[in-house]
Amino acid sequence: MTATAATEIISTKINPNVVPHLHIWEWQIPLYLFLGGMAGGLLVITSIMIVLKRKFGIGPKDAGEGCPCLAIRIGSALSPILLAVGMIFLFLDLAHPLYVWAFYTTVQPTSPMSAGSWILVAFFPLAVLQAMLVNKRQLRTFDVGIVHKVLDWTEGHMTIVALVNAHIGVGIGIYTGILLSFFSARPLWSSSILGMLFLVSGISAAAALMLLLAPEEEKPIYSMIDANAIWIELVTVGLFVLGGLTGSANSSGAMMHLIGGNAVMAGIPYAYWFWGLFVGAGLLVPLLLEFLEAAGVHIKYPNVAPIMVLTGGMLLRFLIVFAGQSYHTFM
Amino acid sequence: MVIDTRVCVGCSACVYACKSENAVPEGYCRDWVVQETKGNFPKLTMENRSERCQHCENAPCVTYCPTRASHYAEDGTVQINRSLCTGCKACLAACPYDARYIHPDGFADKCSLCHHRIEQGLKTACVSVCPTGSLHLVDFNDPDEEAQKLMAGRIVYRQKEHAGTGPSLFWISASNKPGA
Repeated sequence: MTATAATEIISTKINPNVVPHLHIWEWQIPLYLFLGGMAGGLLVITSIMIVLKRKFGIGPKDAGEGCPCLAIRIGSALSPILLAVGMIFLFLDLAHPLYVWAFYTTVQPTSPMSAGSWILVAFFPLAVLQAMLVNKRQLRTFDVGIVHKVLDWTEGHMTIVALVNAHIGVGIGIYTGILLSFFSARPLWSSSILGMLFLVSGISAAAALMLLLAPEEEKPIYSMIDANAIWIELVTVGLFVLGGLTGSANSSGAMMHLIGGNAVMAGIPYAYWFWGLFVGAGLLVPLLLEFLEAAGVHIKYPNVAPIMVLTGGMLLRFLIVFAGQSYHTFM
Repeated sequence: MVIDTRVCVGCSACVYACKSENAVPEGYCRDWVVQETKGNFPKLTMENRSERCQHCENAPCVTYCPTRASHYAEDGTVQINRSLCTGCKACLAACPYDARYIHPDGFADKCSLCHHRIEQGLKTACVSVCPTGSLHLVDFNDPDEEAQKLMAGRIVYRQKEHAGTGPSLFWISASNKPGA
């Protein structure tokens, strides 16, 4: 056997957070991506429920005076709140946060981050309006002039607001993935299915959160939505992994770094995190639990499945953000 | 820039000249020296080279920058407007050459090809200090005869050309050396 020629490279480059591998984004970014995805998911679910009304038997019940049931009211309010919290983390990540205004003096069509900063602003007016409309009965009791006015103007158009919001929610969910997937220099992120993966994961996390918060009689709807979202997410994860493995040396190497290598996150190999905690404990086990519950089996702790889904969704963001940085650049 | 690795001895003078000229903070560098050894003993070849921002024609950092802070200057070099940089770090992730860093004062920083010196008709700090004449500043908008002559008939490469970035740094490979 002939020995293959070895290459040894010594470099004097010393820049912190760049050498030995990229380490620019820490916990703030994955947490933001998780909260943003969940906010998008909440907006999608609540909007679709509002649009569907009671058609197909899954829309919200009317809790009187045109207000939907409790879960929809909580979910609609949580969506902008979670996104606002996420944006605080995003802001904290900036090396020069006082210059944050610079995002809003220009539109850079080739920069997903520029598009994203505008989507975030576009999100709030309608998401907050929807939260107000579904909670109008409670809001009117505060008797604030401007709130009355806004509600008077818009309360006849809740369906249209919700219809537009369903699309904005999808946009936010996809954008959290696109933010990473446009970096062709980072092989793990450079996958166009990442947008879909983060969208379905966001919808599934949102359904899990609704499942936790909904009153007992409304829970089955969200359990069903979550189970369906997990199914789709499993397929999307499969496609993401296969797409990486069957790709170029850059893509397959980066995918192996995530699903089979020796590299570690918090002392535990990525592979254990990915297969054991994300795919196993974050998708398969909760899917089984929700399936059993739907089939009529009594689950002693019904909150376990949604908590596992939420933990898994957050873990996915941490895994992708960290593994994508710790693998070498495009070669 | 054309970098003749045949004569580079890896002395790092370019690195120190840059540090002092551009007040690069301690523990950071805008340019660096790479020593690449190939083959199996005793058949080894070595290439020393000075590396920095490639001032790409299709620079992913500029494409990705959300605030126009990273931009193309009139001469085609890639520059950073510090008063627009939020330190979002997208450009660091976008650069396939890992040429950037975040300055402790909170903005993305990298080789400016000594913009301030070139404006005055001077050469860059690294070029002016290189003791072996390995570094050559070439205006690729109007390449002169000397640069053409330097590269003609030799193995010349650019780094990660297949990334589609159109890098503006050319290396004359050390494999042009006799006996390599």
